[in-house]
Amino acid sequence: MQKSVGKKRKKWVKNDFQLLSMASFSLIFLAVFAYLPMFGLVLAFKDGDGVLNIANAILQSDWVGFEKFKEFFLDMDFMNVLWNTIGLNVLSLILTFPAPILFALLINELKNRKFKTAVQTVTFFPQFLSWVIYGGIVLALINMDTGILSQLFVSIGLIGETTDIIGEPDYFWAIIILTNLFKGVGWGSVIYLAAICGLDGALYEAADMDGASRWKKMLHITLPGISPTVITYLLLAISGLLNNGVEQILVFQNQLNLDRSEVIDTFVLKYGIRNNMYSYATAVGFFKSVISLVLILGSNFIAKRATGEGIL
Amino acid sequence: MRVAELGKSCFSPENEAGVYTEDAKKKESVQEKRRKRKFRIHSRNTVADWLIIVFFILFSILTIYPVWYVIVGSFNNGVDYTAGGVWLWPREFSIDNYRVVVNDGRIWQGFLITILRTVIGTVSSLLFVSLVAYAMSRKELKFRRFFHYINIFTMFFGGGLIPTFLVIKMLGLLNSFWVYIIPGIYSVYNMIIMRAFFAGIPNDLREAAYLDGAGEYSIFFRIYLPLSKPVLATVGLWIIVGHWNTYIDAMYYVTDPDLYPLQYVLMRIINESSTPASGNGTLPPSVMENITAKTVSYAAIIISIIPILCVYPFLQKYFTKGIMIGSLKG
Repeated sequence: MQKSVGKKRKKWVKNDFQLLSMASFSLIFLAVFAYLPMFGLVLAFKDGDGVLNIANAILQSDWVGFEKFKEFFLDMDFMNVLWNTIGLNVLSLILTFPAPILFALLINELKNRKFKTAVQTVTFFPQFLSWVIYGGIVLALINMDTGILSQLFVSIGLIGETTDIIGEPDYFWAIIILTNLFKGVGWGSVIYLAAICGLDGALYEAADMDGASRWKKMLHITLPGISPTVITYLLLAISGLLNNGVEQILVFQNQLNLDRSEVIDTFVLKYGIRNNMYSYATAVGFFKSVISLVLILGSNFIAKRATGEGIL
Repeated sequence: MRVAELGKSCFSPENEAGVYTEDAKKKESVQEKRRKRKFRIHSRNTVADWLIIVFFILFSILTIYPVWYVIVGSFNNGVDYTAGGVWLWPREFSIDNYRVVVNDGRIWQGFLITILRTVIGTVSSLLFVSLVAYAMSRKELKFRRFFHYINIFTMFFGGGLIPTFLVIKMLGLLNSFWVYIIPGIYSVYNMIIMRAFFAGIPNDLREAAYLDGAGEYSIFFRIYLPLSKPVLATVGLWIIVGHWNTYIDAMYYVTDPDLYPLQYVLMRIINESSTPASGNGTLPPSVMENITAKTVSYAAIIISIIPILCVYPFLQKYFTKGIMIGSLKG
């Protein structure tokens, strides 16, 4: 487009209109499902709680400024939810982010190709199961009466005989993080394996000549080689720090563990959709979107500085 | 293309990126064999190797065993199961759990909804996403920058759950099958992946057709789409798995049980602690005496895993491929 600006504008031909019609599909879709909801954010500054007709809630209810934001910041329940969101996600990031990298490094050390393929086939599988299925399996394992894991924990004295693991708020984060780890680590390693494969084989040969051990090669060739990928994915993970896997949390959440299992996403769902507190929930959602935006822009900025290209 | 380079050494042939010719594959496997032979001469497994091997064997067992554990439970008499200790093999074998699940209309209705949404959702989404991606990959597109920014901005910021819910309510999509299809029909991320692929197709083909007076739609459908099978397969499988596994949209937008997809039906069965409906009295009472809600839910889990197991080889192949296409930035 810019090239044609310098000269005289070219006449539009049939094909230009056809291309425009194709591209404008995205315009229509995004206008309705992405930009229209952004206008809905005015609800956060109005008092539309409990108003059943949305048009009324948006157009006719009173402006209340930042009242709704004040409301949830003073709400002790919300502070707990915020703590759960941040605590769970930060812990989860620290513990689950390095795992696929180690996994990839170890897989890379396997010499037998068939064994390697078999390991990958097995460990990738959980990734393709839905959270309902995977969660159902885990719930079976930790079932208080019959689950093999809870029986094991009882017999080694880790938990009391009457402890129901899933009903205990204190264990909830551990369940989320461990299931994340086991479900995702195999598949998560693929991207790093791809990066390892892209490394220059000559480097390894040169290291062999110099008599470098496998450990040294891993430390000085493989790790630095995949560090751009690692940084990119780390920043991607940070930019999504406030997003919980709602589908995962809802599978494990119950009335008993609510203290530690309620996060922003599930909180908004309950207040907004089930209790019709549209304005309150929109304000909470808006707060989350803004923080997320800051995180995304921040990580993108750092990515540009560190690797020369943005993550988006 | 970087895709080709990446696949070269590390992924076994069935995992390789799709841009390969048969020749290249053959050549590679010969090289591979040579390499292996070399290894056999030079390397023996050291202690470290054995440790790694043991680690992976243990990890694989930890991955497989839970599924086995549920299979065993699903084939065990439910009442007997409550005593605990059924870990490796059914103690009192019974297929009654499965008879109850198979007789539960909700499961089949869920299967039907899930299959419908997966097929319709995937086909329509692929069509629209690739159309937009094609247009966006053309330098001739007017207002290209405008379209680009309009798309990218939505990746940074969104209205959030409630405003989206309200829009969907306004459109009358609540409690409608189409709520599974329409809000997810377009995805900026998938568009970017496809755009990168289209941009890599040589321009000459298009130019020739253009000079013959072909319109953009026929160029797209006759030239670009047939050349894009690898990326269509990859993105298509992402969409398929997404549709098959999700339940959150049903939870948000649907209250009519007849419209619940399989996963949501399953979730309700798992969370239900009451004994399931007796299949409208079609099952003999003796069956109902042999089951519990728990073992029936195990049978339901296993039945829901079966379709995924059937397509798993494809999934693994094309997802690995997709990771590499995805790492090509648009």
